[in-house]
Amino acid sequence: MAVFQAALVNEIEKLYKKKKALVAIVLSLAVIIIGQLAIVGVRSGFGLRGVGSVEFPMLVLSVVVNTILPLFTALVAIDSFSGEYSQNSMRITLTRPVSRFKIFTAKISAIVLFILATLLMLLIFSMLVGLIFNTNSTTWDSISRTFFAYLVSLFPMIVLALGIVMLANLFKNGISVFFVSILAFIVLEVLGVVFSQYSSLFLTSQLDWYNLFLINSFPLGKIVRQFMIMLGSGIMLFTAGFYLFDKKEF
Amino acid sequence: MEKIIEIINLSKSYRNGRGIEDINLNIYKGDIFGFLGPNGAGKSTAMKIMTGLIRPDRGDVKIFGHSVTEEYELAMKKVSCLIETAESYSYLSAFDNLKQLARYYPDVDHQRIDEVLELTGMSKYKNEKPKKFSLGMKQRLGLSAAVLSRPEVVILDEPLNGLDVEGMIDIRKMIQHLAEKEQTTFFISSHLIHDVELTCNRIGVIYNGKILNVDSTQTILNNYATLENYFVSEVQRNGRISSCTR
Repeated sequence: MAVFQAALVNEIEKLYKKKKALVAIVLSLAVIIIGQLAIVGVRSGFGLRGVGSVEFPMLVLSVVVNTILPLFTALVAIDSFSGEYSQNSMRITLTRPVSRFKIFTAKISAIVLFILATLLMLLIFSMLVGLIFNTNSTTWDSISRTFFAYLVSLFPMIVLALGIVMLANLFKNGISVFFVSILAFIVLEVLGVVFSQYSSLFLTSQLDWYNLFLINSFPLGKIVRQFMIMLGSGIMLFTAGFYLFDKKEF
Repeated sequence: MEKIIEIINLSKSYRNGRGIEDINLNIYKGDIFGFLGPNGAGKSTAMKIMTGLIRPDRGDVKIFGHSVTEEYELAMKKVSCLIETAESYSYLSAFDNLKQLARYYPDVDHQRIDEVLELTGMSKYKNEKPKKFSLGMKQRLGLSAAVLSRPEVVILDEPLNGLDVEGMIDIRKMIQHLAEKEQTTFFISSHLIHDVELTCNRIGVIYNGKILNVDSTQTILNNYATLENYFVSEVQRNGRISSCTR
């Protein structure tokens, strides 16, 4: 456990020191400010209501889970694997008394922590901005639902990250991984529209699964089914990614 | 004598036909073993297998009795290495680079990091990032990383790459000091014959992926004027045998 902990601390330090993760978080926060300014503009310019204080974080979430969050997840995941392959710096860790499984798991854990940190930052800032700019009544129930919606958005992002990590271990350079990831994302989006009856199977549709938690009737059966699909895909992608990583020669 | 590294029937072939074939070697405690061979002879391949960077087609390497393919963490617990070029994270300072490695060893603290940076003459650059370092400075940082954990075995692949004469002498002294005072076992590959002669006490010659001979430096120098003469003689003898069997 101590060895895994050391590997995880190292991965987090590398993410932090590279500043890419920090830039990603700052840009995410910029989206909130721009979004809020747009809403203020609409309200004062056209006299429309825009959104309420609790609706604003949900509006932010609906935008980021389909755009910048997958993009930043892809960048961090690619950098963590392909970036180190291209600079040969993966050898630094691989030649220490730590197994490849622990290195792989530590890297994945660091990516998951990055996604979680970004989601929490987005939640806190969007709530603060929502409360400051849109003064109307807020209930604890709506706050807890918003919090939960942000939290569960982590799961499809983890599956997405695992998919990108698998691609990073399949292709030689980071640019190929990035373009194949974008292509796969677009194809899945299109498939989700064309074959809408099977859309729950596609990862891109699962990015919006937080909406299931906002329905008053709480569709437990559907939530469990979606979760199991994500869990299954996650396990398969993790196994495939690790298999490729373990076989890799440096 | 205690056997530290055991290389058993190690084979690995690449698509281009190069690689190593049936290498058998034993390294004992306190050895400064020189792995001598020309470019492309298979030195780096053997060393990469020894450090788990690539997997062998056949055979195994045991370090302190633990297989590197089966029990990697145990095998590498008291081992440190520098393979080909000294790698470092360009966005971390020299000190932070070593701090990353120190986390894997509970008894390595900040004081030890300062100590190894001093030992390799890098202490004045400890807060600088390696992207501005020369090849020699990067190599010194790599050597600092290799001795950081007070390893009992150090595997060095071409450790003098990019070093100036002063650097070569410093590193040679450091290797001899660690072997004498701390009984550290070294496995060093090099194509620099003169340097192997001055540093190592046992020498193995590898040529075309095969081990030609292993002997102590003393015995070799008793029979040959220089190590270079011995190397040429071994290679020529092998060449004759190869051409006879063709």
